[in-house]
Amino acid sequence: MAAVLPVGSDLSGAMNRFLKTILEKDIVDAVLMPMKVPSGDSFAWIIMSDSSIVDDAEAMAPVMPVQGARALRSLTRKGEGSIRVLALMRPCEIRAAIELSKLGQVKTENLILAAYDCPGAVPMDSFVSDPSSGEDLFRKMLAGEDVSAGEVKPSCTSCVEFSMTDADLHFGHFGLGGTEVLLIPGSPKGMEILEALELPADRETSIWDEAVRKRREKQVASRDAAFEETGENIRGVQGMLNVFADCISCRNCRAACPICYCRLCHFESETAKQDPNSRLDSAVTRGGISLPADRMLFHTGRMTHMSLSCVSCGQCSDACPADIPVAQVFSFVADRTQKAFEYSAGRNDGDPLPLRSFMKSELSGIHEMVSDAEPGGHAHE
Amino acid sequence: MSEWQPRILAILCNWCSYAGADLAGVSRIQYPPSIRVIRVPCSGRVDQLFILKSLQSGFDGVLVSGCHPGDCHYISGNYVARRKFALLKPLLEFIGIEPDRVQFSWISAGEGERFAEVITKITEDVRKLGPSKRLVKKT
Repeated sequence: MAAVLPVGSDLSGAMNRFLKTILEKDIVDAVLMPMKVPSGDSFAWIIMSDSSIVDDAEAMAPVMPVQGARALRSLTRKGEGSIRVLALMRPCEIRAAIELSKLGQVKTENLILAAYDCPGAVPMDSFVSDPSSGEDLFRKMLAGEDVSAGEVKPSCTSCVEFSMTDADLHFGHFGLGGTEVLLIPGSPKGMEILEALELPADRETSIWDEAVRKRREKQVASRDAAFEETGENIRGVQGMLNVFADCISCRNCRAACPICYCRLCHFESETAKQDPNSRLDSAVTRGGISLPADRMLFHTGRMTHMSLSCVSCGQCSDACPADIPVAQVFSFVADRTQKAFEYSAGRNDGDPLPLRSFMKSELSGIHEMVSDAEPGGHAHE
Repeated sequence: MSEWQPRILAILCNWCSYAGADLAGVSRIQYPPSIRVIRVPCSGRVDQLFILKSLQSGFDGVLVSGCHPGDCHYISGNYVARRKFALLKPLLEFIGIEPDRVQFSWISAGEGERFAEVITKITEDVRKLGPSKRLVKKT
């Protein structure tokens, strides 16, 4: 069940008015949402306590400049915030925020996470070069019109978690023809907001449910096709090397990633640096090696560190100056690693991180790999 | 030139497997001199990156060994290690590293005999595979 927000002429505008109202009524102390930058070619996260500023903000921005979870992290990295903040973000940003809260990097106590039905995002580079066509494109995407897959951010074309995350409040607008928005509470916090506004959650959501289901079906098919292609491209050590051969080691993928929060990444540490003489030895013993030597290690290493929490937001691809399909590869790997533990990053606040939990009897095949040697008596019973 | 000998990195937990290696030593049990040992406080300390990095650095094989399930000195470190390993294993196979190059086992402090068996087995497995050429592009 959901409450209804009438839209009028402009979907984004209606959401703005809602956020303005909850600020004016002191239901929250501040709102975090995107606002167009003065030059008009991008958006920035603004946390606003003055309700008049909300008029200039954009509830649903065409692009994803900084992952919202990164913005949230900067607010709560030293513990829960002193004021109540509502953050309106894309579902992938909410999922990243939930992962970060499990990793102790975001504190959700004083936060209200709000998400909306995301139609996808426009790639950063094409938006910056032509903002007005980018905005037209995004309007079409919001209206549910067909746009060519090449114009949308690649990770968005295969996103299956575009709606209804574990947010406190969800703005559902798919399938409703742009005439109204459903306010779906996902937690007691979300319910409190609706109660404070005296909005009864009494509307059936079946039309919206059906629209979301249909879209998900389509997205699953396009994701499966994308996975198949990526799987073929990266198969074997040569495939993986070919995909990452263009890497210029700028580490932008890591900088843009919401999950990579380590203050000192292993790959910046002294221990990660290879001994020059061992490199020279390898050049001799192996015939030839590429330099810098750790590009492949960086990508596979980052994969092992964050793939269980990867939300497939695609920021890494957007940030790559060499146009490497980083997000497609990571998303492909993440899908498999997460399935291995029946986990889905950011879907549910209550699911423990796979490496923070275990079952005593599982994965028995792993230690039986040394099958010839029978286990003997234990050292201590 | 003498016959090629595999070089294998053995990452052993302090409380069980390292003590198992010690027991093999004091019991004078013979096993191939193919391993280089790194002692870690717990197999749970082993990051997947250690394994990737040792392969990149030119080791032909990697063995990670910890306490038997239920026997971890820190209660649950080896269960976590097992999960990490379960993740890394398919990735290694996917990028073309032969499964036998990287092995995982439980060896307790009382299993000197088993320690020698495990080392013999991984040495033979790696010897069959030959020197590691992976993770580094052969031009």
